[in-house]
Amino acid sequence: MSSRFIWHCRNNPKRELWFAWWATVVFYNFFTVSFFILSHTQPPANPALDAQGAAQWFEKNHYGILLGFAIMFLVTGMTAPQNALIAYSMRRMSITPAFGYSYLVLYSLSAVPGMLLLCIVLTVGALRPDRKPELQQWLFDLAFLSYVGTMGVFLIGSLVWMLAILIDKNRVFPKWFGYLNLCNALTEVVVSPAWIFHNGVFAWNGLIAWWIDMVVFGVYTGVFITLLRQMIIREDFGTGPLPDLPREAAS
Amino acid sequence: MTQTARADARVRFVPGQPDMWAFVLFETLVFTSYFVVYLLFRTQHHELYLRAQAGLDLQIGVFNTICLLSSSWAVARCVQASRHGAYRSALTNAFLTVFFGFVFLVSKVLEWARQIRMGNGFTANEFFQHYFFLTSIHCLHLLIGFVVMGVVVYQLLSPKRRSQELVETGATYWHTVDFLWVLIFSLLYVVR
Repeated sequence: MSSRFIWHCRNNPKRELWFAWWATVVFYNFFTVSFFILSHTQPPANPALDAQGAAQWFEKNHYGILLGFAIMFLVTGMTAPQNALIAYSMRRMSITPAFGYSYLVLYSLSAVPGMLLLCIVLTVGALRPDRKPELQQWLFDLAFLSYVGTMGVFLIGSLVWMLAILIDKNRVFPKWFGYLNLCNALTEVVVSPAWIFHNGVFAWNGLIAWWIDMVVFGVYTGVFITLLRQMIIREDFGTGPLPDLPREAAS
Repeated sequence: MTQTARADARVRFVPGQPDMWAFVLFETLVFTSYFVVYLLFRTQHHELYLRAQAGLDLQIGVFNTICLLSSSWAVARCVQASRHGAYRSALTNAFLTVFFGFVFLVSKVLEWARQIRMGNGFTANEFFQHYFFLTSIHCLHLLIGFVVMGVVVYQLLSPKRRSQELVETGATYWHTVDFLWVLIFSLLYVVR
C-alpha cells in the first residue's frame, strides 16, 4: 500500500493535479469542523443579539473560536491549490486563458471578506474579552456581515466559470454544471438583505438568506469536487476534447 | 458515431439541451423552497398578510401575467418558425418576446415605485419583504432572459450559425421565467 503510494508520488504524471484535488477535499473537511462544530459560526449566531448578548456569545464560544480558527489559519492556504485546479480546468478548455486568470484573481480576493475577515475579527473578539460589550458587538456585526453579506463577491467568479463551461468545446465539464454555476450565483444575490434585517428569513441566519443558500452551496461544492475528480481521471494532457470517463472509473 | 447517435437521441428526448432542463429542475426546487417559507410564515401571521396583500393591485398582476404569457407564446412561435427554416419570422418573434418581457419589466418597476410611495417598502412588513424579494429575484431571472434571447437572436441572424438546439434551449429558459412568474403571481396576488 505505502510502496504503491510512493510509486505514484514519484511517477504518476497527474500527481500535482491529485494533490490539488485532495487539498480541496481536506480543506472542506477542516472548514466544516471549524465552522460548524468548533466555533459555532455555522449556522450563524443570532443577529438580533444586543451588546451584552454579543459579549456573552464570545465568552461562551471562547475556546471553540480559538481552536477552530487556529485550524483555519493553518489550512486556508489549501484554497490556493483548489483555485489553481479550477483555473487549470478552464485552461484545459478551448477558450481564452483570460477566464482561468480572472477566476483565480476573483476567488483569491473573495476569500478575504468571505471567510478570512470573520476568522480574524472573531479571534480579535475572543482574545480581548475585557473590552466594552459595545465594541464586542461591533466586532460580532462586522464578522458576520462580512462573512454572510459579501457572498456576492463570489458571484462573478461563478459566472466566469459558467461562461467558460458553456462556450467550451473540449467537453471538460457537462453543460448542466455550467447552469448549476448560475443557480449558485443567483443564491449568492439572495444574501444581500442580511445587511438590512436583524431577524426573520432574510437576516444573516434566516431561512432564505442562509439555510437555503447553504443547501445550494453544499450541493454545488459536492458536485464540483466530483466533477474535478472526473476531469483529472479523464485528463490526457492534450489540447483537444477530453476523452470520456473510462468504464471502470465510472462504475 | 455512437456518441453522435446518443446525442441525437437526447436531443429528440427533450427540446434544446437536456442540460437546461436540469437547470429548470434545480431552479424550480430552489423557488419551491422560497414558496414553502412564504406559505409557512403566511399561515403563522395570516391577518397581517391579508391586510398587506390588500395593498397590491390585482390588475397589475394580471397585466404582468398577460405580458409574460404573450412573451412565452412569441418564443414558442420563434422556435416553431426556426424549425421550419422561416428565420425572418423567427427573428420577429424573438424580438416580440423581448418586447413583452421589457413591458413586464417596466410595469414591475412602476409597481415597485408605487408601493414604496404608498409606504409599502422592503422593510414595511413581512408580506412586503417576501413581495419585494420574490419579484426582484424573478426580475433578475428576466434580465438573464434578455441575455439568453440575445444568444437566440445571434444564432438566428447568420446562416453560418442557426443552431436549433440553442434556440430551443433559450426558449426553455424563457418559459421557465414565465412559469415561475405564474406561481409568484398566484401566491402573492391571488392566494387569500
